[in-house]
Amino acid sequence: MNDVLKGNFEPKKKVKAEVTEDDAEEKFEREARKRLGGSIAFVSKKKVNWDDYDGNKGDK
Amino acid sequence: MTEQTHEAQGGELAWQLLGQMEQMTWDRHAGLSQRNAAENAPWFSEGQSLSALLKEDIGVGDTAAVIAAGPSVKRKDPAALIRETGYSGAVVASESAISYCLRNGVVPDLAVTVDPGIERVIRWLGDPNLTEEKLVEDDYFARQDQDDAFADELRANEEILELLDRHGSKIRMALSTTSAKVLVDRVFEAGLQVFWFNPMLDDPDLPDSATAKLQKENGFPSVNAGGNVGTLCWLMAGEVLRKKKVALTGVDFSYYDDTPYLNTQYYYEAVDLVGEDNLESLFTRFYNPHVGAWFYTDPAYLWYRQCFLEMAEDSDFETFNCTEGGILFGDNINCIPFRDFLGNIAADACA
Repeated sequence: MNDVLKGNFEPKKKVKAEVTEDDAEEKFEREARKRLGGSIAFVSKKKVNWDDYDGNKGDK
Repeated sequence: MTEQTHEAQGGELAWQLLGQMEQMTWDRHAGLSQRNAAENAPWFSEGQSLSALLKEDIGVGDTAAVIAAGPSVKRKDPAALIRETGYSGAVVASESAISYCLRNGVVPDLAVTVDPGIERVIRWLGDPNLTEEKLVEDDYFARQDQDDAFADELRANEEILELLDRHGSKIRMALSTTSAKVLVDRVFEAGLQVFWFNPMLDDPDLPDSATAKLQKENGFPSVNAGGNVGTLCWLMAGEVLRKKKVALTGVDFSYYDDTPYLNTQYYYEAVDLVGEDNLESLFTRFYNPHVGAWFYTDPAYLWYRQCFLEMAEDSDFETFNCTEGGILFGDNINCIPFRDFLGNIAADACA
């Protein structure tokens, strides 16, 4: 595909892509994900799952 | 004086991030948590399952007092009130509040730890390998508006090591299977009584759940931490110790309004993200009508507040926020002074 679409001349004007508000927001959220977060997860509406797959495992 | 209504101000970017905090937390910690659990596996047989606590009678009566490590603790001194009143209900402390408790003559009935972080969390229990060089590299504790004892960090560290070595064997520790190995080593070295649990890393009912996989492998219960150890202490008090009335202290989820941004937990990350001049966009101010004061919070604690309010909606026990500050208030939370809880609520529960 790249071979089909590649250009064969140098344009006179340099094309500068506009940074839209969505791009900026996406970038912010991406950067935020690298830096922020809680201590541990939160799972909605669940408390404790007591089911022991092996009831004696781990008990002294 | 015009009465102010409680409202939130500012923090536009924090609100924008709120819906993504769960994913961000997963991205940040899931891999590390699972690696920690694998590394800790040889130690699982050295402790008991959290479910063993269901058979124990901990604390007199039907109440528990949670002591977390928010900035209100050094102002309100809940441990002093516990000693003064001779409170005999269960005391549940976050690992970050253990040293405060012990220094003030209160031995928690249950301590809780869940953060999988490697380096910092060990400082709460005393780091046997702390050096000046390490302190120079990480000023996190020096910056916090928390326990003043940490201002002289090497001395504080020595004190914590000694206190925990002396009292550790009396303390039950709800220890996350995903805790850092260095913390697990310290817990066992100090002789705490270990009760293992898995924190819910994701929904255990979903296919390929990391939580379900952990629980199947090690057999320990999985517990919803609500995003942070303070909320987890509350949950432990109500769901594991089965107390009907649970008081919170040190659960600020915020900073006092006169706290410089530098002294907040995510200061460097926030500056990195938005720049020093735009920090207000990440910090949200709340007016607490119960104490008539403003507090501000960062994106992580804003999320913790939301998590707590959601969990409180269908809790089977009563919640009394006795922090006397902070931003945790709303439906299903009774905000009263800690002295009132100890004098009235707890006293009635023991009668």
